Amino acid sequence: MSHLLTISLVISALHLALPILMPMLGGLISERSGVMNIGLEGMMLIGAFSAVLVTYFTGSPWLGLVGALCSGVLSGSALALMTVTLRGDQVVASAAINLIGAGLTAALIPVIWDIDGLTPSVAKIPSIHVPFLEDLPAVGRIFRSLSLVDYICFALVFLVWWVLFRTDAGLRIRACGESAESADVAGIAVVRTRFFAVVSSGVFGALGGAYLSIVTLDMFQASMTQGRGFLALAAMVFGKWRVWPGALACIAFGFADAIALRAQILWRGIPHELLIALPYVLALFALATFVGRASGPAGVGKPFTRA
Amino acid sequence: MGSAALVALSLGASNPASAEDYIWSMVTNTAGLGDQGFNDLAKIGVEASVEKLGGKELVIQSANKSQLVPNLKQAIDSGSTVTTGVGFGIRDALTEVAIANPDAKFTLIDAVAVDKDKNPLPNVASVTFREHEAAFLSGIAAAMTTKGSRVGFIGGIETPPVVRFLSGFEAGLRYVNPDIQVSVAYVGSFTEPAKAKELALGIYDLGADLIMDVAGGGGRGIFDAAKSMGDGYWVIGVDTCKGQFAPDNFLTSAVKDVSGAVVLENTKAAEGSFEGGAVSLGLKEGAVGLCQDNIDTLSADIMAKVEAATALILDGSMTVPSNEEELKSFQPAGD
Repeated sequence: MSHLLTISLVISALHLALPILMPMLGGLISERSGVMNIGLEGMMLIGAFSAVLVTYFTGSPWLGLVGALCSGVLSGSALALMTVTLRGDQVVASAAINLIGAGLTAALIPVIWDIDGLTPSVAKIPSIHVPFLEDLPAVGRIFRSLSLVDYICFALVFLVWWVLFRTDAGLRIRACGESAESADVAGIAVVRTRFFAVVSSGVFGALGGAYLSIVTLDMFQASMTQGRGFLALAAMVFGKWRVWPGALACIAFGFADAIALRAQILWRGIPHELLIALPYVLALFALATFVGRASGPAGVGKPFTRA
Repeated sequence: MGSAALVALSLGASNPASAEDYIWSMVTNTAGLGDQGFNDLAKIGVEASVEKLGGKELVIQSANKSQLVPNLKQAIDSGSTVTTGVGFGIRDALTEVAIANPDAKFTLIDAVAVDKDKNPLPNVASVTFREHEAAFLSGIAAAMTTKGSRVGFIGGIETPPVVRFLSGFEAGLRYVNPDIQVSVAYVGSFTEPAKAKELALGIYDLGADLIMDVAGGGGRGIFDAAKSMGDGYWVIGVDTCKGQFAPDNFLTSAVKDVSGAVVLENTKAAEGSFEGGAVSLGLKEGAVGLCQDNIDTLSADIMAKVEAATALILDGSMTVPSNEEELKSFQPAGD
């Protein structure tokens, strides 16, 4: 076991957890405002693709990151327009975002690069040097592997918690999610609040996608998110729509994945199909037993119309 | 004079289409174009056929398994001269369509199409590759390049071709140095570069300095890991040369000439000598081997060892294992 539980396992788990953690925050904000967003997978793909596209043409991964965030504003606005402004069915609308995200990105690769399936390598966001922290014994290695984007992601977890649960704006968002009618009577602009929340979820989804394509890797591959947008929703339910428990669930997913990958390397002949399925089996088991009944905000899924 | 006229007549009869009427078509499996493997190579073969033989190309992509049969039928209805189906996953669909259309000609890559009595279909050229022979040579290069006593192998999913690559690779390592350990790991998908990268970093972390990548398009994550480790960390690819992904870390590839096989069968059809049945291609046929793009970067010692092993395989005195069972009883021959 001592070979398995090392600092590099922690690094691996962190890098696997962050692309789930960011869309989890997005889903949380959206659902807390009363809009179900199962379109995170598509928003991640669009974000990952936009990051590579802009980096490819400008040479700067930072501009690529900005491009990804802009794509998140667009995909979030599209979902908000369909569900909040036009009051369409939230499941159908966000499923459409998933289909568009997967289809459009795969179809644009040959149009832009004249090759199928995979883009060429682009510049990636470098890890940064933090004096003192990276010289620490043992854990210094963790800090050496982090980029500025990783620190931003950690800060965002705190920021989302603080805004949602410690500010007036957060209270308004949560009020819209529990009962849009009551919020409306109390003078809250429900449509505007929900629109903002859904656009934010698009930005967080896109950030998760960009993390995969230009922080972890240096390219885009069709359907490279591999269901992380849905895992994020599972983590959100796991944490019962709360920020810190949800974040812990993402980190637990990251560790389960990292252990499943590393155990194979260490012990030859260990049944790898079982190991790869382990995180999901554990999640199912936990949800069915000790996590207990998870009930989301009361107003999720209900379009708001002023009577 | 008479016999010459007869020959011309019989040629005309067996070869009714003029060059402009040829349609060289292919139907992808669900991995689709961009897999850096069979599909991309078969497409090159179709394009090369058009250049060599004339006619038109027709490439039909399959997004999921339910599209395979309709796509194959569509190719035939379009007047396809030879329809190439790519990959193990298309075997059942192609078999079904080939039995229903005995006059249509097919090439099946990487699997064998058989009828109810297990006899190969006469209108399908079923081409399989002995990729373990190429992997064996790459194993030799790996054993003579690594500075440690451990190398890695990362597969996408444990499919029969992946197992053949692994068996040949391990046998090649053992042929040079029986003490080298292999860390074997699977990503669980052929389109998951992020996890492939974490696996690669984990293997390098254990002290290995070389990894064989059979993870499909997700293998780009392995090249990215090697690049981030820097000089002296190697990747061996499969199917195609992959030097463009990390020129300083790419050692070699165990390649298979899928495009050549497609052109060969199409040429036979154009010349009227197409025959179906199972075809196995390996070193002897020149259809598998090491990547030629950077072959001059391999040292003279490695090349000598590779050539010695090739000679032993060609004259039949050494058989490269193609699965775990055969690997257990494998005895390296020669020096």
